[in-house]
Amino acid sequence: MDSSTLYVLAAAVLFGVGVYGLIVSAHLMRKLFAVNIMGSAIFLLLVATAGPVAGHPDPVPQALVLTGIVIAVSATAFGLALMVRLGQETGRATLGIQDEPENDD
Amino acid sequence: MIGLILDALIVISLVGLALQAINAASLFRAILHFVVLGLAMSLAWARLDAPDLAMAEAAIGAGVTGALMMIAYRRLVELKPEGEPARTTQRSKLALPIAVASGLLVGMIGLAASLTEHRPGLAGLAVLETMDATGLGNPITGVLLIFRGFDTLLEITVLLAALLGAQAVTQRPDPDPSLTTQDPTTPLVGALLAIVVPLTVLVSVHLLKAGSSDTGGAFQAGAVLAASGVLLILTGRVEASDRPVVLLNLGLVAGLVSFILLGLAPLLQGGTLLALPGIGAIYFLESAMTLSIALTLVLLFAGATGLKRGRHG
Repeated sequence: MDSSTLYVLAAAVLFGVGVYGLIVSAHLMRKLFAVNIMGSAIFLLLVATAGPVAGHPDPVPQALVLTGIVIAVSATAFGLALMVRLGQETGRATLGIQDEPENDD
Repeated sequence: MIGLILDALIVISLVGLALQAINAASLFRAILHFVVLGLAMSLAWARLDAPDLAMAEAAIGAGVTGALMMIAYRRLVELKPEGEPARTTQRSKLALPIAVASGLLVGMIGLAASLTEHRPGLAGLAVLETMDATGLGNPITGVLLIFRGFDTLLEITVLLAALLGAQAVTQRPDPDPSLTTQDPTTPLVGALLAIVVPLTVLVSVHLLKAGSSDTGGAFQAGAVLAASGVLLILTGRVEASDRPVVLLNLGLVAGLVSFILLGLAPLLQGGTLLALPGIGAIYFLESAMTLSIALTLVLLFAGATGLKRGRHG
């Protein structure tokens, strides 16, 4: 096994962990962690699978990932602002679907 | 062999930290694990021959994201001083199977891409062959500003859009209790700032200049510069304000506006859109972008529309 295969496997596990966290976490900040972990997994995959070009590391995937990191922080910052405002409005930082009163009766 | 062991250690810590960031009992601990995860990612980039990414991840991924998450956490705590409720999870029978399936999907794609016969990326080959003609030494800066300039133009637009969006939804109490430290007047703070802030500016300018030939670039430089802004806010030297400042707003759009103008300029002489005219234009553009990125990140941290001189300034 070489290092790039190792990082590909890491990307797979990280993506799985991210998806799991996104589904089970109730707190919105934990959901943001999960989305960021999924993003990082894909970045890792992009760079780890790109082979060398003429003896150098391929600059194109690296530049794409650099752009991706900045977009990820922009989206996270906006998500955090939305979360804080939700907390101010409702007193909670969860989407609160699970603690709605049941209307069955 | 040693390299493989190092990689294995990095991979193990990546997975362990990610699990902790998802699973930690308290939210604050989860934030800390997430920040350390960013640093471990930066080690992984260094091992994958991507020093530019390592630097960006450490400065932006771990540093700025961590600061933003901690200030958001503090705002939530200010809202509910009695402390956060115990960790709640949404029970779902499908969560584990879906997670395993999506992990397997990513793994299969990755293994298929890395185990099949390797063909060098044609775009990368084209970049490396034409780099010499551009006068830039760092092919990644070349891709960002010359070969895929449109991506970078949109990227800086997204950053500005995120700031405008965040400002639109933010309701900041004035004065903001989340942004002030307990006692910013102790003499040590002043001495620390006198050393750290000039050094940060120096590192940022170095990264900006180095970006043309070596590891570095506008995004890394902007993030490092933003760190000194965050420090000045936390120590009460600069305060968030809800009154927009003209000079500040000009700085915020400097990167985007100069990118658009420099991108349009070649059209006047019959050239192609975004074909930046020469190395001087690239330096100018990178400097403007550094300023805009730093100011955007600082304002995202402050959650404000403007900044003013602080009471302890």
